[in-house]
Amino acid sequence: MLVALATMSLAFLPASSKADILVFAAASLKEAIDAAVADFGKSRGERVVVSYAASSALAKQIENGAPADLFISADLEWMDYLAARNLIDASSRANLAGNRLVLIAPAASTAAMTIGPGFAIDGLLGRGRLAIADPEHVPAGRYARAALERLGVWPSVVRKLAPAENVRAALIFVARGEAPLGIVYRTDALAEKAVRIVDTFPADSHPPILYPAALIAGPVKPGAGAFLASLKSAKGQATFARFGFTPAE
Amino acid sequence: MFELTPVEAEALALSLRVACWAVAASLPLGIFVAFALTRIEFPGRSIVSGLVHLPLVLPPVVTGYALLLLFGRHGPLGAWLEASFDVVVAFRWTGAAIASAVMGFPLMVRAIRLSLESVDRRLEAAAHTLGANRVWTFLTVTLPLTLPGILAGAILAFAKSLGEFGATITFVSNIPGETRTLPNAIYTFTQVPGGEQEALRLCLIAVALSMAALLASEIMARFLGRRTQPDVG
Amino acid sequence: MSVELSVRRRLGAFQLDAAFTCGAGLTAIFGRSGAGKTSVINMIAGLIKPDRGRIAVDGRVLFDSDQRIDVPPHDRQIGYVFQEDRLFPHLSVRQNLLFGRWFNRRRVSSTSLESVVALLGLEPLLPRRPSTLSGGEKQRVAIGRALLARPRILLMDEPLASLDSARKGEIMPAIERLRDEGRIPILYVSHALDEVARLADTLVLMTDGRVAATGRVDDVLSRLDLPPLTGRYEAGSILRVRITGQDERFALTTLTFPGGTLRVPRIDRPIGAELRVRLHARDIAISTKPPEALSVLNVLKGRITGIATDSGPFAELTLAIGPAIILARITKLSRETLGLHDGQEVYALVKSVALDPRAEAVNERG
Repeated sequence: MLVALATMSLAFLPASSKADILVFAAASLKEAIDAAVADFGKSRGERVVVSYAASSALAKQIENGAPADLFISADLEWMDYLAARNLIDASSRANLAGNRLVLIAPAASTAAMTIGPGFAIDGLLGRGRLAIADPEHVPAGRYARAALERLGVWPSVVRKLAPAENVRAALIFVARGEAPLGIVYRTDALAEKAVRIVDTFPADSHPPILYPAALIAGPVKPGAGAFLASLKSAKGQATFARFGFTPAE
Repeated sequence: MFELTPVEAEALALSLRVACWAVAASLPLGIFVAFALTRIEFPGRSIVSGLVHLPLVLPPVVTGYALLLLFGRHGPLGAWLEASFDVVVAFRWTGAAIASAVMGFPLMVRAIRLSLESVDRRLEAAAHTLGANRVWTFLTVTLPLTLPGILAGAILAFAKSLGEFGATITFVSNIPGETRTLPNAIYTFTQVPGGEQEALRLCLIAVALSMAALLASEIMARFLGRRTQPDVG
Repeated sequence: MSVELSVRRRLGAFQLDAAFTCGAGLTAIFGRSGAGKTSVINMIAGLIKPDRGRIAVDGRVLFDSDQRIDVPPHDRQIGYVFQEDRLFPHLSVRQNLLFGRWFNRRRVSSTSLESVVALLGLEPLLPRRPSTLSGGEKQRVAIGRALLARPRILLMDEPLASLDSARKGEIMPAIERLRDEGRIPILYVSHALDEVARLADTLVLMTDGRVAATGRVDDVLSRLDLPPLTGRYEAGSILRVRITGQDERFALTTLTFPGGTLRVPRIDRPIGAELRVRLHARDIAISTKPPEALSVLNVLKGRITGIATDSGPFAELTLAIGPAIILARITKLSRETLGLHDGQEVYALVKSVALDPRAEAVNERG
């Protein structure tokens, strides 16, 4: 009985043929890339399969031989990491979109603050914690740390952090009201109804948040290059903008 | 020799503290639940059994999220704890202990149940005839004979706690010195380019700890087994 | 010191409906396996509940379905020796013995650990664990443990059933000593006739969940209407005898009872010692004339007081030998050939070989 069920379930699996284009993309790009994939599928025959995860995890997988065709990272560092190991096709590398960093609070909160040098974030936190993605290794966390350091308030909050596994987890902490404040991407804040944006971090307070993409070194599927081109096209860029991303430059 | 850096020492100390408290706090409840599920017929017994086993079946992140909903400051249990005892577990090592306790609970209950089921109920009847009521019989006959299972359950829960990651990080995040237990620290280092060396060191520490716990349990189990061996023939 | 019991309970397809009273000494509840004996003492102990009925020990009501009284087992002050010793494996012998003491502090009793240890010979076993003891040793500890819980009555459920005859020999004297000291009544369940014959003063005979007879052991076992209940092969009678002579030359002992004498293979007890002996009905032959030139040593003169037959080849006679009653089994053919009838004077030939002390309920050791 169990064997019958198992074999039947196999029949329902989408037959992923070897011709499918495999894209590794940072988790924060999910909605935008899914939309782009849908558009691409309407005009072309090939299927695009996307694996979403943390940029660090994806980079490590590619380093260990994962059969990806295209890599879209949430920060430059992990792309540089692969470039240094000659794992990407450097000529194909391009920045697809940008993002902004925002300070968020639970939707019901009335917290108000303007972000500038030395801004009193500590006071606004009170006894609560600041939810951010882990600044040790998650790009969103690193950008947040950079911004807080540049604005001179990092020492005042370093002991009051709640470092989450990824930026979405940080979002949940604020959405649940567990943390009175959080720092996430603007795109994440727009997608979550249970939080509101208190203010946006000045673009010069942190390294530019860019989403580089590149084809993986070595032979890739025929349509991979076309998909990358579609992302760079006007239509692709409009899709990114729709979800709150900023243009790459 | 193998000297610990401050980061390692902090993670190790925190892991030990969390694991010990998780086991200590959940053991009495574990014994009670195991006893109720084994010996008492009550309505909803299978539902309780299902609930106890949920953490085994659900993805740890889901369990962690459920804990966040329940024990967060705005959750029903968390709010009650804060109002009644001024205790906050969100983002604290106590929250990590709760996460460990919940994840290890089904293993503990299973081990205790196994041992409890093998206790000869005729011995309990004999104790009754000698004047011991139900409570005393439990304490002087049933409990000592269940000790091997209780010990196994405690060790299992302890070991599970040392490896617990998904629920912990989802519930109380990864705060150094507060909730960055060994598994969290190992995970962090594997995510940093060039941190594999450090991660490996921490892994070795975790393995050594688990082996020590397992060895201790083996010795204790053998000692207890000899003492409570029912006669053969 | 008495037990009053009247209970009813359905156990599956089996209906238990038993009533009896008994007093001091050792009362055996006897019957075939499945007759309901263990259920009855489990009800006295409180381990199972009757559907209806009343149980009282020493005037204290332990169970009464009409008055809704049901004393829990731990309050009933009964001592129970089970068929399988049920010693606590995680405690030493000493701790096992004192287990009941711990919960019964308030009741004063004259049994002390020392006296029980002496009575049952437990001294060398005290520091050991149950798993290291032999079957007989374990049962002795179990008896001691039950005694030290200061019970008002001692229940024993086939305590010798799981032991071989050598082990039984270890324990029987201890139970006899308990009975003779007479401090608390003993209810002893068994399906082994030789145990019952040796140990019991009173007998409660159970069959198919009902009490078929109660009374003194000798009386019940001699009744003609009962042999089918105790098993054809086992039918017989019991005589109380006294040793009145020892023949060194031929290694024979003379036993006297009101009604005659018997000579049996040597029994190593002093003159004047009182014993009980069993005469199997199958071992008794009948002669209408005084027998001559016979190897059988024991010939008793008596009178037929009853003859019973059934569908098989046998007839059973009750004979009055003086005031004693014994049973003899012969074939219907012989009965007809000899023309045996009620009131007839006959001679009962008791084969000496059948009086082997080991098979009979005779004490061999002091």
